[in-house]
Amino acid sequence: MEDIIKIERVSFKYKGSGAKLLDDVSLNVKKGETILLTGESGSGKTTLIRLINGLIPHYYAGELEGKVTVDGRDIAKTELYELAGVVGTVFQNPRSQFFSVDTDGEIVFGAENIGLEPSEIIRRKNAVIKDMHIEKLMDRSLFELSGGEKQLIACASVSALLPGIILLDEPSSNLDLVAIEKLRKQIELWKSRGITIIISEHRLWYLRDLIDRVILMKRGALNYTWTGDEFFDKSDSEIRELRLRPLSVRNYFDEVIADKSSGLSADVHGIKERVVLRDFYFSYKKKPHLIFRRHFTEKDECLSLNISRLILPKGAVIGVIGKNGTGKSTFLRCVCGLENGCKGVIECDDIVYKGRERLDLSYMVMQDVNHQLFTDSVTEEVLLSMKVKDRAFCISLLDRLGILKCKDKHPMALSGGQKQRVAIASAIAANAKLMLFDEPTSGLDYLHMQRVGELLKKLADFGNTILVATHDPEFIDMCCDYVLCIDNGTVSYMKRVNE
Amino acid sequence: MRVRLDPRTKLYMIFVVSLLVMLSATTLFLWIVRIIITLIPISLLAAEKRYASAFLFSMAYVLALVMTFCLITDESSGFFKSFLTGYSGIVVQFMPALITAWYVVRTTKIGEFISAMQKMHVPDGITISLAVVMRFFPTIKEEYSFICDAMKMRGLVLGGGSIIRMVEYRMIPLLFSCVNIGDELSAAAITRGLGGKVKRTSAETLRFSVFDRILVVCFSALVFVFIYAKYFKV
Repeated sequence: MEDIIKIERVSFKYKGSGAKLLDDVSLNVKKGETILLTGESGSGKTTLIRLINGLIPHYYAGELEGKVTVDGRDIAKTELYELAGVVGTVFQNPRSQFFSVDTDGEIVFGAENIGLEPSEIIRRKNAVIKDMHIEKLMDRSLFELSGGEKQLIACASVSALLPGIILLDEPSSNLDLVAIEKLRKQIELWKSRGITIIISEHRLWYLRDLIDRVILMKRGALNYTWTGDEFFDKSDSEIRELRLRPLSVRNYFDEVIADKSSGLSADVHGIKERVVLRDFYFSYKKKPHLIFRRHFTEKDECLSLNISRLILPKGAVIGVIGKNGTGKSTFLRCVCGLENGCKGVIECDDIVYKGRERLDLSYMVMQDVNHQLFTDSVTEEVLLSMKVKDRAFCISLLDRLGILKCKDKHPMALSGGQKQRVAIASAIAANAKLMLFDEPTSGLDYLHMQRVGELLKKLADFGNTILVATHDPEFIDMCCDYVLCIDNGTVSYMKRVNE
Repeated sequence: MRVRLDPRTKLYMIFVVSLLVMLSATTLFLWIVRIIITLIPISLLAAEKRYASAFLFSMAYVLALVMTFCLITDESSGFFKSFLTGYSGIVVQFMPALITAWYVVRTTKIGEFISAMQKMHVPDGITISLAVVMRFFPTIKEEYSFICDAMKMRGLVLGGGSIIRMVEYRMIPLLFSCVNIGDELSAAAITRGLGGKVKRTSAETLRFSVFDRILVVCFSALVFVFIYAKYFKV
């Protein structure tokens, strides 16, 4: 078989950055091969992907040595738009990769750009829709879709260009288990059509039996190479040694169905120190009202959240699971008091928190922490949360979280993990007892995921109650004491995570 | 009934509505022409099933009209009266254009818009920049709501009492996330061939329907009547 991608002795460093992100990398990819790139954050996976789709050197400038040839074209001498029908890329963030506002427009976007005949565009669009079974997503606004649905549309848009090579850059980062299953189906379909596929990914379990070759990257070099079968036969300890996320995970979602009969688990009765949530009802459908907004009660129809009483163990890490769109994030938003329509009450340490008081008790670290950093230095950021400005406490807090060395930096200049720690520091500074995390591990490698896990455990040891919404079963195994499953806005079960 | 208008008709509508509401109406007849032209976007909104916005806008408009005609006279003075004059002036003069633009943005797909601009031979650079602006409105709204949530959580909604802070805490995260999104967005768009030398095609076939023709004729007639009555009738 001929080599469709040839990377010959390539080194690269971004403009204005000191370190080389790729160091003397050579790689040949055969036509029709499916390759998995894995390795720590910053090991050069994304850079390698950008070399193949031409974003380096045409969009991200820097010093490039060596030669990249894709489908017989020298990338350095090929304009990006000439590559559009040759290499397709699905990016990590579903929110920022669509150009249109409607789904139909998005699928045909690429095909329109390369100037195909309208009749051919329509033909391709219909073929893609049929292949992917996404009829029900058509004629909708992209802003209404879930992350998983957006990612499917991104796949469809790439498919419609009929490229011979498809690159996926951490495509599952923001997806739930159902969406990941669909993504896998899509990759299977592409593979069966003989398309060459390169996937950069931290989450490995869903790629079993799809991969021909696995490449582990480390500090800008190709560290190891295995065949797919060799790699997926490795034992858990070998994988941990390589600092990778596990190859197989416990399926907490199958348990959802199995455990439904038992309802609330008996474990809860043993809990002495508790946080009690009462009367959490909420719906996104507004109730008709004249002047005063009416509040939701148990009797209302189509509630997105319907929890009359829930006992949470105090000082524990509780993993909140459930499919996307079943009320997980609604639950978190209502608990910390962001939804005004929800009049739930929280009892903690014999104090009852209502309405706005819930905002003082709780603190949510959002999935995109960029939204919650406001000031121009880390110290300021933490002090902002304190009612009484206590610099000494602030310094000790930063030290405890391991971010003391960047105390004078601008929060936006930090890495993703550091930003998250700054947000956590503000939560502690605000004296929040109930900390909520919305998918803190999306897009993290094993090492960083482990760090977040340890941090959450530490916070729990200090007596904070942690609710963490997650799609990563391996993360639940790592740090959660309990799992709370939300289904259709109600608590399906809560139980202890057995070691 | 849903009316699908051609984007070119919509652009013409924005132009005509803005023109007529900005030229001052001096006689009753001119006022009537102006009210008729304001009724068109309102009924289009209603046809889109956006009854609430259509109703609210009509109420505000009617109120402003009533005030202009009944309450405010040439002898009006004092703070309250000038406030009312200001209010009704803004509503009567700017809101029709605003509501028309809002209707157009809400109901035009980006594909349609690009296709229409190409048919009018507008350069691609201008078309694509405008398309990105349309794409960014909902993004900004979405990002802004996240930031407001975060502020609410930290009790910063009032910025600790300082107006500068209030603006700063909203704008800085908003700018950062918009810049990031914009950067990723363009990377994703150019890997799919945006900005090439190839002539862009369009899967949207635009057709001037009967309704489009009727509206264009209506608008042109109204403009003609208005200008004739205002400047040429002795």
